[in-house]
Amino acid sequence: MMQSPVVARQPSGAVVGRSLVVVQVLLVLSVWLCPGTASAQQKTLVLKGGKLLTVSHGTIDNGVLVMSAGKIAAIGAAGSVKVPKDAEVIDVSGMTVYPGLIDSESYLGLTEISAEGSTNDLIEISDEIMPHMHVYDAFHAESELIPVARLNGVTNAIVAPQSQDTLPGQDAFVQLDGKSANEMLLVRDIALPLNFTGEQRRNESWEKRKFPQTRMGLAAQLRQAFMDAQDYSERWSDYEKKKSDAAAKPDDKKGPPSPPKRDLKLEALLPYLQGKKSIVLAAQEPSDLETAVGLARQFKLRFVLNHVSHSQPVLDYVASLKVPVIVGPIYENPKNFERYDAVYKLPGELYKRGVKIAFASYDAHAVRNLPYAAGYATAFGLPHDEAIRAITLNPAEIWGVADQLGSLDAGKTANVVVADGDPLDVKTDVKRIFIAGRQVPMTSRQTVLRDRYSAK
Amino acid sequence: MRRRAVKIFSLAALGLLSFPLSAQQSAESTPHNECLIKNAVVMTVTHGNIQNGSIYVKDGKIAAVGKEVSVPASATVIDAGGKYVTPGIIDSHSHIALDDDVNEATSPVTPQMMMMDAFDYQDKAIYRGLAGGVTTSLLLHGSANMIGGQAIVIKHKYGANRDAMLFPGAPRSIKFASGENPKRVYGSKDQLPSTRMGNFAVQRAALVEAQDYMREWDDYAAKVKRGDKDAKPPKHDLRLEALADVLRGKLLVQIHCYRADELLTEMAMAKEFGYKVRAFHHALEAYKVADDLAAQGVAIATFSDWWGFKQEAWDAIPWNAVISMRKGVRVAIKSDSEDFARRLNQEAAKTMRYGGATEEEALKMITINPAWIIGVDDRVGSIEVGKDADLVLWDGYPLSSFGVPDKVLIDGDIYFDRSLAGFGMPHYREGE
Repeated sequence: MMQSPVVARQPSGAVVGRSLVVVQVLLVLSVWLCPGTASAQQKTLVLKGGKLLTVSHGTIDNGVLVMSAGKIAAIGAAGSVKVPKDAEVIDVSGMTVYPGLIDSESYLGLTEISAEGSTNDLIEISDEIMPHMHVYDAFHAESELIPVARLNGVTNAIVAPQSQDTLPGQDAFVQLDGKSANEMLLVRDIALPLNFTGEQRRNESWEKRKFPQTRMGLAAQLRQAFMDAQDYSERWSDYEKKKSDAAAKPDDKKGPPSPPKRDLKLEALLPYLQGKKSIVLAAQEPSDLETAVGLARQFKLRFVLNHVSHSQPVLDYVASLKVPVIVGPIYENPKNFERYDAVYKLPGELYKRGVKIAFASYDAHAVRNLPYAAGYATAFGLPHDEAIRAITLNPAEIWGVADQLGSLDAGKTANVVVADGDPLDVKTDVKRIFIAGRQVPMTSRQTVLRDRYSAK
Repeated sequence: MRRRAVKIFSLAALGLLSFPLSAQQSAESTPHNECLIKNAVVMTVTHGNIQNGSIYVKDGKIAAVGKEVSVPASATVIDAGGKYVTPGIIDSHSHIALDDDVNEATSPVTPQMMMMDAFDYQDKAIYRGLAGGVTTSLLLHGSANMIGGQAIVIKHKYGANRDAMLFPGAPRSIKFASGENPKRVYGSKDQLPSTRMGNFAVQRAALVEAQDYMREWDDYAAKVKRGDKDAKPPKHDLRLEALADVLRGKLLVQIHCYRADELLTEMAMAKEFGYKVRAFHHALEAYKVADDLAAQGVAIATFSDWWGFKQEAWDAIPWNAVISMRKGVRVAIKSDSEDFARRLNQEAAKTMRYGGATEEEALKMITINPAWIIGVDDRVGSIEVGKDADLVLWDGYPLSSFGVPDKVLIDGDIYFDRSLAGFGMPHYREGE
């Protein structure tokens, strides 16, 4: 009997599959079974009097939001929502209340101090094809960076490996509160980045030359990897068929077939080849974008796009692909031939063309600045509501967790932020954060230092 | 020759009426450096905000500012549409336009390096900073060396020729550095310095060398004065000449320094050798020793919230600027980055959130305070009569996530106008 280490590590304790195919199906089904720190013992909390930005159904002035057992139990205008008798009521008059923000690409938990190598687990650079690297194996739940990010209202994030490999390993979707990595890793292996930006070339110098040295080489290497995975999948199907044939004919002298040798690298590619999970396809310029999309189509991969920062001439083509785009970083410098605002305008231009967008910090220490990038995009054509949506409900939908996150709706996980103003403005101070209905302390390593040295 | 500036406050008091503005047309450029900006919230930085204010610019200078100003009919009118006008942003720590020639990392003491020699005035980063409202930048040597090169001060007049971009008469600055960078750069080559002890030993030895050099020249001068015909002049040494100017107080000393203990050591060293530190740059732990900095009158040019990129940035906190300011330190927010230089207004606004700086305090951190650090605060950094007409007209409230420049004037001339096609620069055409 075959046991996938991936499934065995699922926090939900999902049943271990009998075959590779079953394993992959279970993997998909077992997603989102453990919503963080919710607990039935939690006190019911009520936020009363604030301006609620529901994201899904407009703004409620003077609203009431009830949190119970880790979920949003009820939400509505004052008077329309029954406040439970034993609830703790928190007056948030004058405050703005919104869903926890979601960062669609971060490196939280994979780094502590950028320049100190021993604190980094960002990327495995021994080979370009590393789909069997799992962020969940390295995610450091106790990172000092997490409370810092959280204090600005970011409650959930994609954690991705850095992008120097074409296939650097699989992303995790995390919640930024919990007693352990197990609690915080909400979805393991949620997606696989496929990076094709030119940045993955590392064998260019004539002294160090080895395959792959060029974009041609990188693309050929990728195609071979996916073809190998297709062959691998067929070997297993063939084995399954022979096994069931043998089971149907117990008297056959041949006996049961022996299983193929497992290959973790190829195995990791299967859910993506089967279209069960999304590839995150990163490209910057039109030529790379079209090569990468061609590759994804050749293998019928489901994908979302990432970056496209210098693809302004082909935005209609991007829209025609009918896939979401993780956009940014919008602070990426334009090319010298581009106008100063070429990249700033991208979110607005994509939105105008009907593309669903989400913002990402592409950082670890600066995750807290995620809402400001969205805010800046509003100065370059993105409507304000859409900017908020692009760090809440849009990413929740893109990552398949919108039934739990991304808006203030009854039944969703109570990831809720209370702030003294517009979520997108740098001047806004976040006052309270609730993750799975639990009020998170407003402290970080940085607030401790602040308090120590600002005291007289 | 500067014309006599008209002080608007007194004009208003005398009951003089402003020129009727409605007959005039807004224009895309102000070719004669004379214009009237009207219908603006004028954020003067030094004298509060003027609602529905006007600024009269004449010969590239601010000739009048106030609620009502008297201007000749010939002045071009720019209607700010009720939006904000601030002084041009000043970046007191930049490495743009040097085509990566930032560090002469072949010796830890290279004060004879002149950044002017590497100034790539065609670098588009100058334009992109301009489009973010930056009008003046201090281009510094990097931090590989304990004592790096001599800086230049530029105005972001993209499209102008090289010498027209230099800030006329700006004082000379020199860059010192400490901490991880020098010890890493030379330590990795098995050279001195590889520790903080080595860093400061190198710095001290260089300053002692400069003292000896000055003494040799003083001795020679004394001999000549005595009429000693056999007196031979010492050899001219460019490197020691520059250090001597540090000791003579002719150079503003700008020190890259992160940790609190090193801030203290650098101040002790300055005291020992008798020079003044103008500003500590980065200074991410200034909040720990802010009282000492305030007592010495040393400014800081810091980041708003960048942290954790190396060990010596591990204790960086976004409250650094305001804690230090409240203890009496003059604080600037600087870019040290081609990226941040494009949105320093947003970075400054963060100090309003982290520590509760007022609007004016936040604005000072990217205008008059960095102007002081560079030594040009008598010329730029606020909207005052007689100062250079370096002005930014904003599309939204500048101290927010949403404010971006509509127009940027330098010396009264529009160098950036968002409404123009192409790059938005009246003085620049690609390929010309």
